[in-house]
Amino acid sequence: MARRRDEEDDDVDDEEYEDEEDQLVDDEDYEEDEDVGRGRGGSSRKRRRSDFIDDVAEEDDEEDEYEDDDDEVYGGGGKKHSKAPRVGSQFFDLEAQVDSDEEEEEEEGEDDFIVETGADLPDEDVGRRIHRRPLPMREDEQEDVEALERSIQARYARSSHTEYDEETTDVEQQALLPSVRDPKLWMVKCAIGRERETAVCLMQKFIDKGVELQIRSVIALDHLKNYIYIEADKEAHVREAVKGLRNIFPAKIMLVPIREMTDVLSVESKAIDLSRDTWVRMKIGTYKGDLAQVVDVDNVRQRVTVKLIPRIDLQALANKLEGREVAKKKAFVPPPRLLNVDEARELHIRVERRRDPVTGDYFENIDGMLFKDGFLYKTVSMKSISAQNIKPTFDELEKFRAPSTNGVEMVGLSTLFANRKKGHFMKGDAVIVVKGDLKNLKGWVEKVEEENVHIRPEMKGLPKTLAVNEKELCKYFEPGNHVKVVSGTKEGATGMVVKVEQHVLIILSDTTKEHICVFADDVVESSEVTTGITKIGEYELHDLVLLDNNSFGVIIRVESEAFQVLKGVPERPEVSLVKLREIKCKVDKKFNVQDRYRNTVAVKDVVRILEGPCKGKQGPVEHIYKGVLFVYDRHHLEHAGFICAKADSCCIVGGSRSNGDRNGGSLSRFGGFKAPSRVPPSPRRFSRGGPPFDSGGRHRGGRGGHDALVGTSVKIRQGPYKGYRGRVVDVKGQSVRVELESQMKVVTVDRNSISDNVVISTPHRESSRYGMGSETPMHPSRTPLHPYMTPMRDPGATPIHDGMRTPMRDRAWNPYAPMSPPRDNWEEGNPASWGTSPQYQEVLLQGHMKHLLLVQVGLVLLAVVTVRLEYREIAVQLMPTLQVLICHQLLVGSL
Amino acid sequence: MFFHIVLERNMQLHPRHFGRNLRENLVSKLMKDVEGTCSGRHGFVVAITGIENVGKGLIRDGTGFVTFPVKYQCVVFRPFKGEILEAAVTMVNKMGFFAETGPVQIFVSNHLIPDDMEFQSGDMPNYTTSDGSVKIQKDSEVRLKIIGTRVDATEIFCIGTIKDDFLGVINDPTTA
Repeated sequence: MARRRDEEDDDVDDEEYEDEEDQLVDDEDYEEDEDVGRGRGGSSRKRRRSDFIDDVAEEDDEEDEYEDDDDEVYGGGGKKHSKAPRVGSQFFDLEAQVDSDEEEEEEEGEDDFIVETGADLPDEDVGRRIHRRPLPMREDEQEDVEALERSIQARYARSSHTEYDEETTDVEQQALLPSVRDPKLWMVKCAIGRERETAVCLMQKFIDKGVELQIRSVIALDHLKNYIYIEADKEAHVREAVKGLRNIFPAKIMLVPIREMTDVLSVESKAIDLSRDTWVRMKIGTYKGDLAQVVDVDNVRQRVTVKLIPRIDLQALANKLEGREVAKKKAFVPPPRLLNVDEARELHIRVERRRDPVTGDYFENIDGMLFKDGFLYKTVSMKSISAQNIKPTFDELEKFRAPSTNGVEMVGLSTLFANRKKGHFMKGDAVIVVKGDLKNLKGWVEKVEEENVHIRPEMKGLPKTLAVNEKELCKYFEPGNHVKVVSGTKEGATGMVVKVEQHVLIILSDTTKEHICVFADDVVESSEVTTGITKIGEYELHDLVLLDNNSFGVIIRVESEAFQVLKGVPERPEVSLVKLREIKCKVDKKFNVQDRYRNTVAVKDVVRILEGPCKGKQGPVEHIYKGVLFVYDRHHLEHAGFICAKADSCCIVGGSRSNGDRNGGSLSRFGGFKAPSRVPPSPRRFSRGGPPFDSGGRHRGGRGGHDALVGTSVKIRQGPYKGYRGRVVDVKGQSVRVELESQMKVVTVDRNSISDNVVISTPHRESSRYGMGSETPMHPSRTPLHPYMTPMRDPGATPIHDGMRTPMRDRAWNPYAPMSPPRDNWEEGNPASWGTSPQYQEVLLQGHMKHLLLVQVGLVLLAVVTVRLEYREIAVQLMPTLQVLICHQLLVGSL
Repeated sequence: MFFHIVLERNMQLHPRHFGRNLRENLVSKLMKDVEGTCSGRHGFVVAITGIENVGKGLIRDGTGFVTFPVKYQCVVFRPFKGEILEAAVTMVNKMGFFAETGPVQIFVSNHLIPDDMEFQSGDMPNYTTSDGSVKIQKDSEVRLKIIGTRVDATEIFCIGTIKDDFLGVINDPTTA
């Protein structure tokens, strides 16, 4: 305690001096002031107010910047309680005063020599609180010091035991939040880049004018351009204060809502400690996404020197240096490659070898860029790199380690874990200490706390558990352990540990019998042998894939990093283990072939195998490629039920689904979206016979004059209300009245300039299938299509299409009804229309949905995408196949 | 390691085997069924050495099959971690080599081959010491230590090392 007191006295003296010397505290003092403020800020919450000395000694050294900031913020909040500007003391007392009003108020009365100054803001030069105080009075000082000492003693005697209560609870924190009675924060526009200057100006103004200025504080935030915050009770005060400042545009003074006030001063992200050898990634420029290693950190200038693998096109560089060619905007980024100085010299690029005066290392200097060992050393702003949770891949590390010795490389690897994700240690994990005094101590995880992991050490004679920082720990494995990779690129793989090189494990994969390199952190011990996944990359179980030796097959099993593929060899079932890279592509194009009796076989048709090893088996065709069918037979136990057979050794069974229209209109089926065959003739006839409506007719002629659109929620996509959403209340001809969601009003917009989003929000169509037209989600989506569709149609065809649409609405979602239009279209001989016409889509959707209810979301999406395309009027060019493609992709994606 | 243990199994026997040779049929079927199989607990069943006891048969309704509980003695082979075995090399590649001891496949990774042995690709891929005195290739016999085992329902797979004292080639087919 005694030592503390001494310190304090010193501080007090210091402050007095400062006070005398100058009012405007200079930069150096800021820090101290801040500390002072902080000390108070932290301690004054629950305590006294009568002491006029700062309890500097009380401040917690370990308290980090952020807590500090928080305190300041809250301190600032608390400050607002002090109503009247106070006068009467010479002590420069920077306080974050956070007491409750009452206490504060009464005590203030007692000692009026206390100067109530605001807490400093976290950023030294950000708008500081303006200190309301008169000039110090010399005479009082002597006795004050004594009084001061006494009070400190008294205070510490009191506070020693309360010190531990300092941690604020949530409730207390809540209490500190600004309320309606506190001064408000006003956001004021100022000249860009002049935020700080403006704040300082205001401070100066306050110093000059003193009490006249009724604002409380000014805040300029580094990350907020064009605005400063002013704390004041009334907008008028703000206006008054900013009057005459040319950097401020008082036209825009906005009130910050109380709820957002704390956000103004809270710190968004925790800075990570960037230290030497940390791995980072570049965020911008040519090297965007590249891995880099920190070589040097300049915290003051916020700059970092990083080591990169250069992406330099030497030829281009040579050209540039010789002035032969003006470097144009490069279309490609040169691949990363270590720089070879000799190569550069060959191209007559001047290479200077210079010694860095600071480090004493030699660098090759080419065109202002520094190279060493082929690496580029680049100094960049801290903002342009990301250091959070960087996971370098092995390839990247491999490149970095290339020229360096093994020892150095390991140093690099150990830094990998500096910024890694938290919480990957589990109870029972075997771990090894990799840093610090306990290095190489093995143990088992007993308990995991935030940062610290309690381990039960292996060695005897040590305490039962030791708390170790998780950064100093690494999972420990022994060769022969069976492990599973739980994160990273090799996720899901299992295998046995072959070798352990510190953080890196070499694992022999169970399935591929290959070595894989993983970080110990990514691995857990497990006895499992993975087979569970069904997808690697874009390839999924039961996909038809083309392999790189031009063979093809169906994936019948997905293993951790390889597929079992049933090859397309009809003679005998041939299964091979295929790695991802050996797969060329997925075949999702649908083919039709003819069976033995010249019937066309399409996907999903049921066939019976007439000859070959699997004679007699029967099942739906899953894939067709090069005249080979992959048939799925549930009763076939091998190869996941897949049988490979030649098309002409099969025959289609009975009245298969799509057989009906096959001979006539097989072309009208597109891939999976074929129109089911059984088209009841009636709708067609009906529509044919029906009176041709004009194109507007379909909007008008709903059920009983009730437009399909009414009641739907739409989005306006053109005009002054662009982007607004609302509900359609009425439709009159071409105009629609929409009740806006965001504003309490109804506006009239052109029918063409609305689109709807109901489609997305109603993914489940089944329920509405038999509902009336207006409620079906698909309907609205067609609406915007329509106006665009019409012109591109064959003029002759138009009335028919439109004509038949309307009556159809009654049974729009009758599963059979919509089947007819495409066939109509088709028979109209107007191929351009069926691909793009809404009806066709309907059929596609409907037809497909019939079989794959699973893909409903995808279908709905499809409709949306088409709508989007229509907006850009590309739809006209859209060929049906393209559309099918889109459909398909969507479907795949949505699954 | 080999063990001689007694196991029990319920055998289903088709009615056509009933008669004088029932016991023989039962035993031969047992041998056919059991020998060469693998269980995680006991390892590979190498051979049946004798029948301890055949219990009372139970006729299954409907099928006519009879179930006999049979106790039999057999030799099983189960590799253990740390065990030293002799194995024949079956395949050599750049990652290491595969060797077999009976039914058990053992992989020796190149990380677990002494550092002075280098992989030589070619017609007959092999690992050779720098002076060429020791060579591991297909059909070589090696002594190795098992460092890890993985037991599936149908097979046991091991990882071995020859990076230890007294491990390595014990019989080279080219010199023999």
